[in-house]
Amino acid sequence: MNKIRLSIGIVFIFLVTHTEAQQSNRILIAAASDLKFALDSVVSAFKAKNNGTIDVTYGSSGKLSEQISNGAPFDLFFSADIIYPNQLKEKGLTSSDIYPYGIGRIVIWSKKINPQTEGMKSLLQPFIKKIAIANPAHAPYGKRAEEALIYYKLMETTKDKLVYGENISQTAQFVTTGAADIGIIALSLALSPTMKHENGSYYLIPETSHQPLVQGLVLTNHAKGNDLAIAFLQFIKGSTSQEILHYFGFSKPQ
Amino acid sequence: MLDFEPFYLTLKLVTVTTVILFVIGVPLAWWLAFSRSRLIVLLEALVGLPIVLPPSVLGFYLLLAFSPENAFGKFLDHYFDVRLVFTFPGLVIASVIYSLPFMVQPIQSGFRMIPQSLREASYMLGKGKFTTLIKVVLPNMKSSLITGCILSFAHTIGEFGVVLMVGGNIPKETRVVSIAIYDEVEAMNYHHATVYSTILLVFSFLVLVSVYLVNQRAHKVHYLS
Amino acid sequence: MITINIEKKLHGANGDLNLQCKTQINSGELVTLYGPSGSGKTTILRTIAGLSQPDRGCIEIDNRTWFDSHKKINLKPQLRNIGMVFQEHSLFPNMTVRGNLEFALEKGQSTRIVDDLLQLTELEQLQHKKPSLLSGGQKQRVALARALVRRPNLLLLDEPFSALDSEMQSKLQDYILKVHQQYNLTIILVSHDIVEVIKMSKRVFVIEDGQIKKDGLPADVLPLNNLLSFLNHFDTKEI
Repeated sequence: MNKIRLSIGIVFIFLVTHTEAQQSNRILIAAASDLKFALDSVVSAFKAKNNGTIDVTYGSSGKLSEQISNGAPFDLFFSADIIYPNQLKEKGLTSSDIYPYGIGRIVIWSKKINPQTEGMKSLLQPFIKKIAIANPAHAPYGKRAEEALIYYKLMETTKDKLVYGENISQTAQFVTTGAADIGIIALSLALSPTMKHENGSYYLIPETSHQPLVQGLVLTNHAKGNDLAIAFLQFIKGSTSQEILHYFGFSKPQ
Repeated sequence: MLDFEPFYLTLKLVTVTTVILFVIGVPLAWWLAFSRSRLIVLLEALVGLPIVLPPSVLGFYLLLAFSPENAFGKFLDHYFDVRLVFTFPGLVIASVIYSLPFMVQPIQSGFRMIPQSLREASYMLGKGKFTTLIKVVLPNMKSSLITGCILSFAHTIGEFGVVLMVGGNIPKETRVVSIAIYDEVEAMNYHHATVYSTILLVFSFLVLVSVYLVNQRAHKVHYLS
Repeated sequence: MITINIEKKLHGANGDLNLQCKTQINSGELVTLYGPSGSGKTTILRTIAGLSQPDRGCIEIDNRTWFDSHKKINLKPQLRNIGMVFQEHSLFPNMTVRGNLEFALEKGQSTRIVDDLLQLTELEQLQHKKPSLLSGGQKQRVALARALVRRPNLLLLDEPFSALDSEMQSKLQDYILKVHQQYNLTIILVSHDIVEVIKMSKRVFVIEDGQIKKDGLPADVLPLNNLLSFLNHFDTKEI
């Protein structure tokens, strides 16, 4: 019995002291899920030239914004729209101007058919039982998907087949695993190596059918005085990042 | 390259939670087992609540309580510069509440199984309640204590809903293994998700096997009479 | 000298009982509380021990007050220095025989008494065994030895041998008598066994429905036909 107590004690002390050492020179980023691959690449590029720890949490813009309002310790917030960063600004939770870092696009993606053939009408194929979109309540990409469906007058016929992903990443996961037959996801995800591996194809939904996906980023109050955060913001504005974002289908805002 | 941070976090969370639960669980279970007050029924129901309540309900109320936008959270933030949302300490508090009945109930049953004459014999020998607890009662209910610890341990390892709501998904702070697995699946990194899941499964299984082995040895002595 | 004057309402299986007990017991006496199950004899013992509280009354020992409902005095059992032997399940399973006795030692008390008692109760060979390996008779012997470690002046026995066979009962009764003589204790024994009562004590309280119905010598106080059965029993044993 004593040996067990001793070993538990040692493990306990080790654990408690282990993770305390990494506080300085670190930034925590909250990013919309459509940036999963794009931002990971940007972060790698940044780390090649700078010291410091950068951790990213991906999720739906609405949820992340809510967490920030509730005190989550994020330094930068990359939203998939401009509205959520604006809301934070109004609450006095930001420490920089909102920088529009790119314009996103939505696509129809499927493994089972090639959406290019029928375009929007692909969604009406009889074999389709489930159509995945992101949850419009807190994911901007979901909201735009909804707008596009309404614009093309497809909402009535498709609404019973819709399944909502918690964020655009989970939405993509629904389609790649076959849980949904087809889905409306982010272009940036469709262009990622992981998605390309899945042997699906996509159709780029015309921009005229929805509000533009002007994606904005902002520094939070938590980042005040954090030089690494400011350095990262500068890096995003630079050409390396712009190229990476462009590769993943983001166009430059005017 | 697989990130092992979630394992450290999970291990830390589970260990700290189980230790805290043991320390507050024993006196609480004693009280519930032996108190003759009629109000004890209310306390018992309160302690048992986390078993019945969906984790998201508990997580929701804790989030409200801890949030710096509300009274309690604001108070903590203002006077102590302490945040409980999205931090490890907040997770510990949430886990302690969430796994409380799993520690208290087995120990409570264990207490009830100790013959009254055993405790009374100790009192008649001049020993106080605390000495009796430590030297007479607890040593004779080892399997209940072990059961309480295993159940709390297991329950905390598997925690997801409460952790997600109260802790978010902050790397190195609140991204425990259960969250990390969900995260990796979402990002379609199925390989990472599989590795995390398998390690967790094997680890939990090994812990249970070794504890049951220890428990079995403790039992063998009893059955000799 | 023990002075007892207590009242307590009991809720039994057969209805409510008003326990009333008023008497005095001299130092060094060995008395028995005799009566059927549910008569309240165990409760009287437990109130003297401090494990139960009377509703009203007082209990005094040699001018020290242990319980007084008027003055709101209620001394904890821990402080009464009484030796008590329960009917069963009172040895600590996690300690050896010796361990059980040593547990009883007070701060600074020498272990000499432990050795003496082990010798007196003939338990030296078994002292390093755990209770689960002992027979019923051996267990109660240990319980008796343990109750005496703190050198109490008062020994309470709650039907200590009723779970044992008659030969073992007889042997253990002899131990009690031996101990009574050696340490000059006041002993109160609760029993529902007539043979035991007659053998052990010179003074019997007959308890019925929570009242002391009779108080005196066994021969005077116990019913005649029971006495006859005792004589029969006596006949088949040694004289």
